[in-house]
Amino acid sequence: MTQDHPIYHLKNIRHYYGQKKILDIDDLDIRSGSITGLMGPNGSGKSTLLKMLAFALKPTKGRIFYKGREESGFSPEVRLKVTLLTQKPYLLKRTVFDNIIYGLKIRNDHHNLEERVKTALSKVGLDFQTFSHRKWHQLSGGEAQRVALAARLILKPEVLLLDEPIASVDTKSAELIRAASLKARDDWGTTLVIASHDLQWLYSITENQVSIFNGNLFPTGIETIITGPFEKTGDHRCVKKLTGGQALLLKAPGQNEENAVVRKENIRIESLEQPFKDGINRMSGHISAMLLERESNHVLVTVLVQDLSFVLKLSPDRIGSLGLYPGKTITLGFLPEDVEWF
Amino acid sequence: MDFIAEGFVKAVGLLINGDSSIWSAVLATLKVSACSLLISTGAGLPCGFMVGYFDFKGKKQLRTVLDTLLALPTVFIGLMVYAFISRQGILGDFGLLFNLSGIVIGLTILAFPVVTAITASTIEGIDPELKLTLVSLGAGKRHILFTCLWEVRYGILTAIVNAYGRVSTEVGIAMMIGGNIKYHTRTITTAIALETNKGMFADGIALGLVLITIAFLVNLSLSFLRKQ
Repeated sequence: MTQDHPIYHLKNIRHYYGQKKILDIDDLDIRSGSITGLMGPNGSGKSTLLKMLAFALKPTKGRIFYKGREESGFSPEVRLKVTLLTQKPYLLKRTVFDNIIYGLKIRNDHHNLEERVKTALSKVGLDFQTFSHRKWHQLSGGEAQRVALAARLILKPEVLLLDEPIASVDTKSAELIRAASLKARDDWGTTLVIASHDLQWLYSITENQVSIFNGNLFPTGIETIITGPFEKTGDHRCVKKLTGGQALLLKAPGQNEENAVVRKENIRIESLEQPFKDGINRMSGHISAMLLERESNHVLVTVLVQDLSFVLKLSPDRIGSLGLYPGKTITLGFLPEDVEWF
Repeated sequence: MDFIAEGFVKAVGLLINGDSSIWSAVLATLKVSACSLLISTGAGLPCGFMVGYFDFKGKKQLRTVLDTLLALPTVFIGLMVYAFISRQGILGDFGLLFNLSGIVIGLTILAFPVVTAITASTIEGIDPELKLTLVSLGAGKRHILFTCLWEVRYGILTAIVNAYGRVSTEVGIAMMIGGNIKYHTRTITTAIALETNKGMFADGIALGLVLITIAFLVNLSLSFLRKQ
């Protein structure tokens, strides 16, 4: 289903709210028909990026190409093909039926509306007879979220952008949203970009993941971010002290660089067969989560070291040989030179 | 206080018997208030939408001017309109003075800031997610305008009712521009003022009852629309 050519190409995107930089993306390609996961803490820039991809927000600087053509937003070429489901979707003050057909009416498409609304509602697990005549205020949070998704699915969009679609829904609704989104991709080749804090859910639906921290994009997915304060040691090194007394030695940052990232591949696990040598940062922590990455069939292991989460990517065989399980205490390490600053 | 009770009884009689001078004033009031409301709403809604929806340089100052115009004294409007439409004024040739059309101009000036300012406030209070939702569903500028206005229809109705309240109860403009001419430019409010001065309480109360009934009917129809 995924095609090689990018449906989106973002080039040198910079976005500011006042003086504050919200997004700083040099390059981002999103392949047509792919399902991309977007993750990062609150305020990292995920929603801003989704609004830009929906052409509802113009970046302060930079260019966005859609299907190879530069778009500045609001042109019918993209407006009618890309749709965004926001975190708290707004339902118009009318019935569920009228909410769902709103997008079709805009497109002057009045063909077989009832049947299409029935199909759209069934995709999100809602019964037409029960819900179509309900008013916007007669729905629960999860039902409203699913109605809003149905209003987008009925449009058969080329791109469906979902911002925290399961933030306020129960497990059943989350599964329905997952199934409906996947079906949209499988049936119509819809490109999906999904932002979510629920990593387990996100990894269960997405093929590739990018993470955002302070507006900076990491195309390799979730990574270990070390934030300040740092203490300079004078030998082109600095120290990050963790709350429990452990200290990490890092190479010194460059100018205007405030945060450090340690890539998954640079974090090692100490074992009897492979004891750490001198000069490596040694940290003890316990495994807090293990996630299966669908595409690579590898496992993402999150290790909590005091207040810092380290993420490693291991094969299932390695997990088995090391006997890793959530809650187990292990020793991690990385070299001071292995950090990158941004 | 018996004269008030007597006045009520007489007033009902006057209304039932269809006193021509009273019903002429009622008709004149309905004409000028409907026309001025129609014009001020037609112009005020899009203006209010633009002021409330868009961010532009000088928006704060414009809002201050609009809010100030809400409290514009009616006699001042009457004076200014009089100056423009009197024989020496630049619109003197149109014969608007002592005419219902002249009153409509004055009342429109009175109602326009009410409709515009309340519409702007209502639009400013719109959930920011609404615009994003409309854009993300593919709405163009025209659809955004009409859908936003429809979403805040109760707020818009409040603006119109407020404007109606001002124009239907207004005395200064109707008196100065209309001249309170019987069977011609006499409105309910100018008639009440005149009849009270003459000590004809029954006529005044009859007209007052009509005014209250109109206001009640307007609010009743609004409540009905809200329930829809």
